[in-house]
Amino acid sequence: MPSRIRSASPRHNGITKLTNCRLLRGDELVWDDVWVSSVTGTIIRSQSAFYDELIMPDEVVDLGGRIVSPGFIECQLNGAYGFNFSTDADDMAQYAKQLRDLNKKLAQTGVTSYIPTVTSQASQLYKKVLPYLGPSGASRRAHDGAESLGAHVEGPFLNPSKNGVHNPSILRVASSFSDLEDMYGAANITPSSFSSSASEPPDSASSSGSIPVKMITAAPELGAMTSLIPALAARGIIVSIGHSEATYEEASAAVSAGATMITHLFNAMRPLHHRNPGIFGVLGVPEPQQQPPQSQQPQQHRRRPYFGLIADGIHLHPATVKIAWHAHPAGLILVTDAMHMVGLPDGRYPWTNGEGEHFIVKRGNVLELEGTGGTIAGSSTTLIECVNNFLHWTGASIPQALRTVTATPAAMLGVQTRKGCLDAGADADLVVLSERQVLREGEKDGAGEAAGMARTELVVDEVWKFGVRIFERGRA
Amino acid sequence: MRFFIRPDAASASAHVANYIVDRINHFAPTPEHPFVLGLPTGSTPLGVYKALVEKYKAGEVSFENVVTFNMDEYIGIPRDHPESYHSFMWKHFFSHVNIHPSNVNILNGNAPNLEAECVEYEAKIRAAGGIDLFLAGMGEDGHIAFNEPGSSLASRTRVKTLAYGTILANSRFFGDDIDKVPKMALTVGVQTVLEAREVVVMALGARKALALQRCVEQGVNHMWTLSALQLHPHSMIVCDEDATLELQVKTVKYFKEIEQVARAEGFEQILPSKVRTGPATVPTTIVTDEFPEPTIRSPQPTTSRLLRATPATEYPVRSRSPSPDFVPRHLRVASDAEYTISSRSPSPDLVPDRMASRMDDPALLRRWTPNPEQQQLQQSLHSSSKRTSLRA
Repeated sequence: MPSRIRSASPRHNGITKLTNCRLLRGDELVWDDVWVSSVTGTIIRSQSAFYDELIMPDEVVDLGGRIVSPGFIECQLNGAYGFNFSTDADDMAQYAKQLRDLNKKLAQTGVTSYIPTVTSQASQLYKKVLPYLGPSGASRRAHDGAESLGAHVEGPFLNPSKNGVHNPSILRVASSFSDLEDMYGAANITPSSFSSSASEPPDSASSSGSIPVKMITAAPELGAMTSLIPALAARGIIVSIGHSEATYEEASAAVSAGATMITHLFNAMRPLHHRNPGIFGVLGVPEPQQQPPQSQQPQQHRRRPYFGLIADGIHLHPATVKIAWHAHPAGLILVTDAMHMVGLPDGRYPWTNGEGEHFIVKRGNVLELEGTGGTIAGSSTTLIECVNNFLHWTGASIPQALRTVTATPAAMLGVQTRKGCLDAGADADLVVLSERQVLREGEKDGAGEAAGMARTELVVDEVWKFGVRIFERGRA
Repeated sequence: MRFFIRPDAASASAHVANYIVDRINHFAPTPEHPFVLGLPTGSTPLGVYKALVEKYKAGEVSFENVVTFNMDEYIGIPRDHPESYHSFMWKHFFSHVNIHPSNVNILNGNAPNLEAECVEYEAKIRAAGGIDLFLAGMGEDGHIAFNEPGSSLASRTRVKTLAYGTILANSRFFGDDIDKVPKMALTVGVQTVLEAREVVVMALGARKALALQRCVEQGVNHMWTLSALQLHPHSMIVCDEDATLELQVKTVKYFKEIEQVARAEGFEQILPSKVRTGPATVPTTIVTDEFPEPTIRSPQPTTSRLLRATPATEYPVRSRSPSPDFVPRHLRVASDAEYTISSRSPSPDLVPDRMASRMDDPALLRRWTPNPEQQQLQQSLHSSSKRTSLRA
């Protein structure tokens, strides 16, 4: 069994060496060690530490051949453990406390950073909650748990015909940037030091740190939204196409304007039609490197967008997931779109979409809005379950599957140097995974296993945040 | 020279790894009295490093009190370059064992003053008490470290220009771009290696067969620098069958039989106790112009005379058997006199004398001396120089 080998150095430098493990590096699992520092909270360059600083690790942890992945990054989470980010709380101190509790519990599922999602709401709710949902990693306290990388506002500039469970009556159309500022609060989407004359491309690392909003989901075909995309991108805010009736041409225009993401692809948008492929069609655009070099188009506007997929087994058919993956493997990001009922028992839970009281019925992993005859109201799955589904449905390798919740979302959010990778200098947010062989349903007689029908499932064994182990399965 | 032939590379590596582990464990190193290990890079020792790491993980050996010195390093590539020998050692050995970084010594190819770096490196080896065991690989041209053909067998740590063939061969590690390959390196000298108390050399594969033949069956030659190993008092070569292809059948059989007989007799070819446990004091290199006359009682190693320096401290200017430490105390006084090095007394000036002066008969002197002044002088000298003259 994995255990501590020994304590190496009498001096305490906060460095732990994880050894006898397979590291997720690109599309491979590599047998290597990783050194993490709980002082800086980062992965350190072990060779330099050894030769320059004459450091040996305080502790050596033998992982017994298990997989070490960067901590998962969740790009669409509405709430969990009974706490909804879109809560109009009277007592914001209570809101903050519930948020802290959620962060601690969420980290135990392997999600070490995420962008809390606020659905379509009235303006005052955004202004109230967004300051609480901004980036929270600056304290670098490991035991705070999962870290917000900034909020995701999913609405209200959405198409009323693709509202999902969002309340159509509060959806809005933006005609100018001030409409956005009025809706979310200017301080929430424009950095105080921001100068509108800045013509440089957005440097998300420097300009987004000071504002709570990291991503906006909007329907580009409505109002002046497409023309507002460059202004949002300049502020380091990611514009994601979603809840939209956009045609292929409209979606392409939005991508050219700077939209880099599609919110839960296939859900709440036009289905693929072979003569008008709609939003999904932009994944069929050739990549710039496949273009002749004399192409006059500016390269950054020809990139295919990233896209979120809800691989919970309810929102999408497995074959659809596989088609999307093959269409643009490097862009696929698995998301849960989980509601605050995740982690709670089955039952009937109150929910607000900005107008009146509604109830969502949870039955297993299925959430339905009561009284609508089966409208899916988000999911109650976890990200690791989505990864396991993805492995099962697509036949992807483990590194390919883990990439969709680590390196790819980190690149989408522009944080690829500090999140979603195991390179030296990145934050030491790690997930230790073990593989478990599971028989497929209906083949529990053992014959399936003998015939090689068992499939591999990943299990979150340990979670490390900023170089500190904060969760170990089977231990309180 | 001890010479071990193993069927394949894996068992040869295992033999060396076992040997090193035994040496360290028998040595029982302490922080004050560490085991000093010289280490090579390259493909040959990879199997040894792997085996050593496995043995460390199995708890059979600890590197806590082991000091290491590496043979060589490129000049002018970043220390953390994947092809640097710092990276090699980190990747294959240091990162897997409990060696303390302050006990690790590798030449710095980016030092501002490379010459000073070399001098300092030699000083560091001395300060560590000399190298107890130097592990080395063998080049296809018989080189040891970067001491390529033609290197002085008396060389010490220094800057070395690489042969074009070596640069060409190395280009495969540098994206096949010859401009990126380092053209120079820092390396310990042949003499630095020979000064280790023990040298263990590995030769694996048919490509090393010619070099092995030159170094074992032929004379000491600077075109095959490793042949200088023949001058070392405690050397060991471990090779696989493929590397013996150029050796005479007689040579191979001889060394195999030696090993077999030794094992059957329960007499392993081990080192003298003093070498195995290491010295308690820091050795000094003795450079001297005068050598005592070898005698039957105390034969002198030719190494020290050829290279004008002693190879290792416990092998200073004469061989002792048995070591005085193990001679019972009551016998030691007598034997100490025997072992004392009597430096040759200076020869007296030549005084011409006559045969007649050697006769104890003054009458003879008087009768044959024609010159009275001369006669008087002779008589005064007679009393003082007679005995000396007789001995001379």
